[in-house]
Amino acid sequence: MRKQFCLFLLLLFVAELAVLWHFAMQDYDEVQDAVAVNEVIHTLQDDWRNLETHRNRTALDYVVLDGGGAVLFRTKPGLSESIHQAILHRDTILDVPGEGKVLIYNDAAGKQQAGRQAAVAGLGILIAVQTGACLVYYFYLERNVIRPFRQLKDFAGRIAEGNLDIPLKMDRFNLFGAFTESFDIMRAELKRARRAEAQANAAKKELVAELSHDIKTPIASIQAAAEVGAALAQRVGRDSGAALEQGRPMAAGIRENYLQIIRKAEQINTLVSNLFTAALEEMEQLSVTPIDMPSGELRELLESADYLHRAMIPDIPECLLYADRLRLQQVFDNLFANSYKYANTEIEIRLRTGDGCLAVEIVDQGGGIGEEELPLLKEKFKRGKNTEKIEGAGLGLYISDYFMRAMQGALVVENGGKGLKVTVMILLSGYRSGAETAR
Amino acid sequence: MHGGRYYSRCRKAGNTLFMKKVLLQTEALSKSFSSGGAMQHVLRNIDLQLYEGDFTVIMGASGAGKSTLLYALSGMDTPSLGKITFGTDVISDMDSDGLAVFRRRNCGFVFQQIYLIDSMSVMDNVLAAGLLVNRDKKELIRRAKELFAAVDIEEEAWRKFPAQLSGGEAQRVGIVRALINSPRILFADEPTGALNSQTGLDVLDTLTGFNGRGQSVVMVTHDMRSARRGNRILYLKDGTVLGECDLGPYVHGARARHEKLTGFLAEMGW
Repeated sequence: MRKQFCLFLLLLFVAELAVLWHFAMQDYDEVQDAVAVNEVIHTLQDDWRNLETHRNRTALDYVVLDGGGAVLFRTKPGLSESIHQAILHRDTILDVPGEGKVLIYNDAAGKQQAGRQAAVAGLGILIAVQTGACLVYYFYLERNVIRPFRQLKDFAGRIAEGNLDIPLKMDRFNLFGAFTESFDIMRAELKRARRAEAQANAAKKELVAELSHDIKTPIASIQAAAEVGAALAQRVGRDSGAALEQGRPMAAGIRENYLQIIRKAEQINTLVSNLFTAALEEMEQLSVTPIDMPSGELRELLESADYLHRAMIPDIPECLLYADRLRLQQVFDNLFANSYKYANTEIEIRLRTGDGCLAVEIVDQGGGIGEEELPLLKEKFKRGKNTEKIEGAGLGLYISDYFMRAMQGALVVENGGKGLKVTVMILLSGYRSGAETAR
Repeated sequence: MHGGRYYSRCRKAGNTLFMKKVLLQTEALSKSFSSGGAMQHVLRNIDLQLYEGDFTVIMGASGAGKSTLLYALSGMDTPSLGKITFGTDVISDMDSDGLAVFRRRNCGFVFQQIYLIDSMSVMDNVLAAGLLVNRDKKELIRRAKELFAAVDIEEEAWRKFPAQLSGGEAQRVGIVRALINSPRILFADEPTGALNSQTGLDVLDTLTGFNGRGQSVVMVTHDMRSARRGNRILYLKDGTVLGECDLGPYVHGARARHEKLTGFLAEMGW
């Protein structure tokens, strides 16, 4: 196919050269046909007496003049009709012996014109054919080379954007079939690898979530057993105390150990809960659905969170809150647990309304934390400097902050008075959050 | 965090130049109903002050909580949460007997349905309401006559029975009955809702007239023509005050005032 096309172009070129050669070499100074001229002279001589019957038997055009120069005969009008004109036109002037003159028309100019026209037409056709061939060749290139390259460029762009779903279109006539196919195989491989990675990640998170859930069950059993143990130890101490003098302190020691087990189990429980929540959050399954809720319900939440009864809960201003009860409980649980762990002092709770929200301030007397640590506190896996000896994953405040923001409220951690002051801002129903107002 | 209502405050001149006296005030007023186990929060954290001498109009779409707000403000219903103060009285803390006394002394009511007692004459209907508060019948009759004159009800109509009155007349009698005890606030819930166009205008003129003489009025309506009579418009949406507009005192046919109200309501999505 390609060979034929090249041959065709070559032939075209040769033909053009031939036409040009022919045009350049053409000889227009032709000598008139002497035989025809003689024939004319002879017939004229024969017919001279009766010129009306004279008929031109040759291809020549001519005018016949008498001795005085008057026109006796003409083959067609428009020829030279006097000696003077004939000389100017370079016609052949001959004597018809004894009779007059014949002016044989010189049509070399006409022949030259015709020859030139023929050459131009031929050359025009050849150039048109060549241009057509070039256009056909261009479209062929566009279709089979340039377009596939452009598709390849778009394809690479999509891959770079991470869109691995659109395959590369392959064409039977494409010159780069194998080439593009390997590109598409690369895309398919990438896609498969990415899906496998996502699956592995999800599986890992699910495993963490499942495990955290599973761990809670044995912990609950341990707690229950320890509680029974502590109760038994107390009873043994009470019952046997009268009989055995040394039994009482021993029983108290056993009970203390059991209580320690209960406390540690509680701690593990909290840690596992946080882990579980973090895993769920990464799986984007951590739903927060705030609804309208009377502020009075806060008392129950705070009492439940403050299980060591370190705080006095003041009167709660009556209003309608916009919050998720379950998530708010988790936030308070976390804040109180933190205070127990790190400060371990009395806790003061202050409540106030204003700026479209109810602010719950939880203040301890544990000395607070370094100012430079404050901005980092709510970040994932970040823990304060004084926490090396205390268990924790650095997730509690991060999750609490996430919950409060999802409720369009806020969590503010600052140093206040003798310790750390954490303010839980709960949006009032019918108001919109500060973040939205600022926008 | 700086929270804020979706408040559109038109009021500027109203309270800054001369302080109006606060008549009724709410703090975080909420009202919830339980329907089929689910709580329905009809009013949500409403902080509101009503001023002495104002013609306050409460507007809003159906179900926005207009009537619920009116009932809570007037002590006909108790709020679920929050505080309502009338002068120095905290009416949200009152029991139902206390509320009844409060209403009798301080509130007048005009409803869409007029609820006149059919078996009593017009005058007796008015006196019956008056006698609950004031034992001096002569004084009551004198005040009733004054009020009847103010609402253009002729002497022969006093002796008629409610069934003999036209709708507009009956509503004007209703207004007289509401005002017989000189209440501090007149509460009106769609007072023109059941009337035709002309009699509705008469009733509105009556209310505007009393307001011009210093009577504080709080009216709930979803009628633009009625709303125009107020000098302060509150727009309620989803149980919260979405915005308010200070129109200034009513002037008949004032174009700028009308355009301000139309613009305000358009902004509120009326």
